[in-house]
Amino acid sequence: MSFWIDENTRLIVQGITGREGTFHAEQMQQYHTNVVAGVTPGRGGSDVLGVPVYNTVLEAKERHDANASVLFVPPRFLYGAAEEAILSGVPLVLTIAEGTPVHDMLKLHHLARERGVRLVGPNSFGVISPGKAKAGFMAHRIFSQGNVGVMSRSATNCYETVFLMKKDGFGQSTVVGVGGDMIPGSTFTDVLPFFERDTQTEVIVMIGEIGGSEEELAGQYIKEHVTKPVIALIAGKNAPKDTSMGHAGAIVSPDGEGSAESKEGILREAGCRIAESTEDIVRILKELRG
Amino acid sequence: MKLLEYQAHDIFRTYGIASIDGFTAGSREELETIGGRVRFPVVIKAQVQTGNRGKLGGIQFAENASELIEKGVTILGMSIKDLPVNKVFVTPKVEIDREMYLSFTMDRKTKLGVMIFSPVGGVDINQIVDDNPDAVVTLNIPAGNHIPKFMLQYAVDMAGLEGDLAEEFKEVAGKLFTAFVKHDCLLTEINPLVVTGDGHLIALDGKIEIDDNALYRHSEIAEYREEMTDNPLVVEARKFDFLYIPIRDQGNIAVVSNGSGMIMSSIDLIAKKGMDVTCALDLGGGATADRIQEALRIVASNPRVDTIFINIFGGITRCNEIATGIKEAYHSLGAVRLVVRLEGTNKEQGLEIAQSIDGNIEMVDGLYEGVDALAAGSGGVA
Repeated sequence: MSFWIDENTRLIVQGITGREGTFHAEQMQQYHTNVVAGVTPGRGGSDVLGVPVYNTVLEAKERHDANASVLFVPPRFLYGAAEEAILSGVPLVLTIAEGTPVHDMLKLHHLARERGVRLVGPNSFGVISPGKAKAGFMAHRIFSQGNVGVMSRSATNCYETVFLMKKDGFGQSTVVGVGGDMIPGSTFTDVLPFFERDTQTEVIVMIGEIGGSEEELAGQYIKEHVTKPVIALIAGKNAPKDTSMGHAGAIVSPDGEGSAESKEGILREAGCRIAESTEDIVRILKELRG
Repeated sequence: MKLLEYQAHDIFRTYGIASIDGFTAGSREELETIGGRVRFPVVIKAQVQTGNRGKLGGIQFAENASELIEKGVTILGMSIKDLPVNKVFVTPKVEIDREMYLSFTMDRKTKLGVMIFSPVGGVDINQIVDDNPDAVVTLNIPAGNHIPKFMLQYAVDMAGLEGDLAEEFKEVAGKLFTAFVKHDCLLTEINPLVVTGDGHLIALDGKIEIDDNALYRHSEIAEYREEMTDNPLVVEARKFDFLYIPIRDQGNIAVVSNGSGMIMSSIDLIAKKGMDVTCALDLGGGATADRIQEALRIVASNPRVDTIFINIFGGITRCNEIATGIKEAYHSLGAVRLVVRLEGTNKEQGLEIAQSIDGNIEMVDGLYEGVDALAAGSGGVA
């Protein structure tokens, strides 16, 4: 089954005429993703990779009945581009850029909710349902179709995990990059009900890290609502306090809020299996497979 | 970016918040000049981006010009929590009737700004809150650009402020929140927010932290960065758009990788084997051979580093570029051990180039193999 991105996705690529936008639009096409339109203000009427380009998301959506948009735009233009996609009524908006101002994300997070739009990212590799379609920049060759649902704040830790999974014959249903920023459009807790409902997903892998409280909130949700097994990894146990580890969101405050200990404690209590490393995730998957 | 106190006062004033006035000095000469211009007694405050400086001797009083110079020079010679004091802020001593606490920060749980207010403030605010959680109120501000009126009234009533003082407080809170939003702050804090002897509010001390990702909207703040006492390797790395992260002073290993998550995982695994990472460098995506060379030069210039673990899982980053960079940098790195893991795009080409390097590079196939190799070579727990 999978969710959000699949063979029924009709995708807009915002920023398709840029270097990154064109490159990844082509990669997504090669993965059989139905890229129906591109949007670059001022470049309407042209086409890229056989895809028509429009000035506005609204026109692209109306002409092609698009149901998702992925944004390959620099962080300083992300607010405007995402706001446009949300207000144009695109039901799924995926933001990729790293370095978006947090006050911009605060506004977008709440605007998307008000409008009933699913916002993903930023600082995210996107979403992929292996064997079906992808929206984002992930190196798709390492993914394979299967029964494990994966969500991750980090791209590299997710790559490492699916790479190790493949060696042992595990594939994924859907993989969601929730992103490494302080305020994500969608949180782990927002994604969990989709994995729980998805018939293809049998096990859920959550790759979290230090900073913030999303893993704790996910733990509370899992305890009450999730029946499928959840394997959780918290990266950054040995990171110094009050130091951003690269992801804007990966920071433990001086008083210890956002620490790995707090997250693991709550997740363990919620019945999750705690993995010590990406390799350990695969070990637990094997154990669950029996 | 955490601003220095006097810079925070500048921003408070920009938004019309009554804020303590003063002079900054970075040398004996500047202290002498100030001595002739201020009204004594004065407070001399070390300008460093850390709290608790008062308890560490970074805040002192002076009754006259010679005391100002003597104590000012002492503070300028100090390091507070490893941060050298390059500047002091000299302000007239204010008659304090009462101290309160007011701040705005990001609440990551609700994804909203939050107002934190306490009718008691000052240096012991954390202790006060620990002892009596009811002494502080925390209120989420709905997404938008103003604080609902009732929240301000609640704070006023909690503090028992009346008449003009109540109105002054509401104004200060409104302005501080405007600064929080307009200046892309992660934190705006006034502590203490003081009621002076003559019955007015003044920001006696303050902290501001600005979102690094929004600095492009505030060029005047970006200039402040020059004054900050940052680790020189952090500054050097920033020139190349790399992120250099100091980890532990006692370590000897540097981790170079192409993503924040991979860096954290590497550090965790290395620590688990009983070894210590002293610094990490995040290349970001798509690094070229030239940039790899610079990155290796930067971490190798840290005298504590005797081992570099290069851990690349390349999507956008190509392994052949990494290997070429290592090859070109290799002979200028000095006596440093290199353990290299290359995975992903153009891996085979990368391995071929790495094997052609005339020198001793330990190539490993995988993150875990890499950490094992580090342990085997360092006497750690393999």
